[in-house]
Amino acid sequence: MTCIPGKPVVDQAPPSGREMVIIAAGLTMVCLFAAMILGGLYFVTQPAKEHNLLVREETMIRGLLGLSPQARIQEVRRYLKREGKNTQVIYLTGKKLAQLELEGKEVAAVDVPNDVAAAGTELKDEWVKKQVKAVDPEHFKYAGRFFVGIEGSQPVGYVVEGVTLGFKTWVRFFMAIDSTYTIQGVEIIEHEEDPGLGAEIVQRYFKNQFAGRSFEDVEKISVIKDPLPKEWQEALEQLGDMPFRPWLEKYREMLPKNPNIYAITGSTISSTAVTVGVKAALGNFRKRMNIVEKYL
Amino acid sequence: MSANRPPPPVSTMLMRGLFEENPIFRLALSLCPAVAVTTAVKNGLMLGVAVLVVQVLSSMSGSLVKHIINPKIRIPVFTLLIAIWVSAMDMILAAYFSDIYQQVGLYVKLIVAFAIIISRMELFSMKHSVVPCFWDGLGMGLGFLVGLVLAGAFRELLGSGSIFGIAILPFKPLLLVVLPAGGFFTIGLIMAMFNWVDVKRGHKLPSGGGGAHG
Repeated sequence: MTCIPGKPVVDQAPPSGREMVIIAAGLTMVCLFAAMILGGLYFVTQPAKEHNLLVREETMIRGLLGLSPQARIQEVRRYLKREGKNTQVIYLTGKKLAQLELEGKEVAAVDVPNDVAAAGTELKDEWVKKQVKAVDPEHFKYAGRFFVGIEGSQPVGYVVEGVTLGFKTWVRFFMAIDSTYTIQGVEIIEHEEDPGLGAEIVQRYFKNQFAGRSFEDVEKISVIKDPLPKEWQEALEQLGDMPFRPWLEKYREMLPKNPNIYAITGSTISSTAVTVGVKAALGNFRKRMNIVEKYL
Repeated sequence: MSANRPPPPVSTMLMRGLFEENPIFRLALSLCPAVAVTTAVKNGLMLGVAVLVVQVLSSMSGSLVKHIINPKIRIPVFTLLIAIWVSAMDMILAAYFSDIYQQVGLYVKLIVAFAIIISRMELFSMKHSVVPCFWDGLGMGLGFLVGLVLAGAFRELLGSGSIFGIAILPFKPLLLVVLPAGGFFTIGLIMAMFNWVDVKRGHKLPSGGGGAHG
């Protein structure tokens, strides 16, 4: 067997034409090989990857709202369309596509065909773009979404997707809200906080501190650096093993005793970031809900 | 260095990666990810498995292509080969092991730049055929895996009082051990342990950490 040893190249003269062709051919072959393997794998794994993300989101929404297996989840997408100085807000619900002025005055509303309502996000975005005649893609952008949990034909709760700036980059979270704007729970979907520090925001003893808070509670909430009381921590660890309603019944009297969010030790910035995000998302959702409710 | 030197026996190749030339504790390569992911055993284990697979596949494919590429361009070709296997691992983990991917996804992409992988291709794959390269890659990969698990176990036990997320120690955890500085202390301590074992065995290891012979 002949091998080419990895000895240092002493001869520094430029390679001959023939040598250059061989080098280029070798690199091209390796690149082609790489392209084939990666292309094939992408083709095989991409559907599974997208499916995973959807399943994960759906499991989270169902868990947060405590939905029964028969319940349906309807996505509501929000878009912004700019035309000169005018900005329009567009909501795509399961039934309607509503074009509104910023203050909430209706410009147009059309019914959504069933196949669009059940389609994936890309198809939905394309359809909306066509419907509202957004010529310049720079003037039309996706601006957030929320989900409605529907049991039978009644909405039983909402899950809002929110983002907030964490210690390094964006923290994406889901927040479940009932029809009285009380938070039922918070789940962190994506974050890049430090392991052992900011990454603790995904732990029950932190994220569950928001559960059971009403709109008024959240408005007054702040982040404090006191140590987390032992019995409150034990109560917080329960939510998740226990559905939200029975949990709230059992520990209701503890909420007023702990009106603020206890920051994670060593991660006040991450703790504050999530709290600010939850506050903003809840406030915005309440404002938007007043407008979009009749289109659901 | 002869081109056609016969490969060492399998046991030597395996032990070299596990002990004599352990990537983390003897060669001190790829310390950055080793410190970053070893805050818990589970993360260390997952990244270790990913590195093991990439190391074996890269070593073997490096050995396969050595005849058809000009040695002048071996570095770009090696880099490309590593990148292929890392991207493949990344896609497969994301598609079929999404729970694990949530934890270590960020670091899997970084395997492309792990010094240990390209150094094994340069030192070993260039000189040996596919089968010895498999054993050498397996030994080095296992060495890295064991290193990550050891460091992860130490840090999780002292820093969070648990192993694999199961609480074991009832005392207040030492925050320092989980912080990056604690990671370096941990690796330093285990390195000292390796040296101590070596002293007990009668100083057989090369003092520079080794890595020169292939």
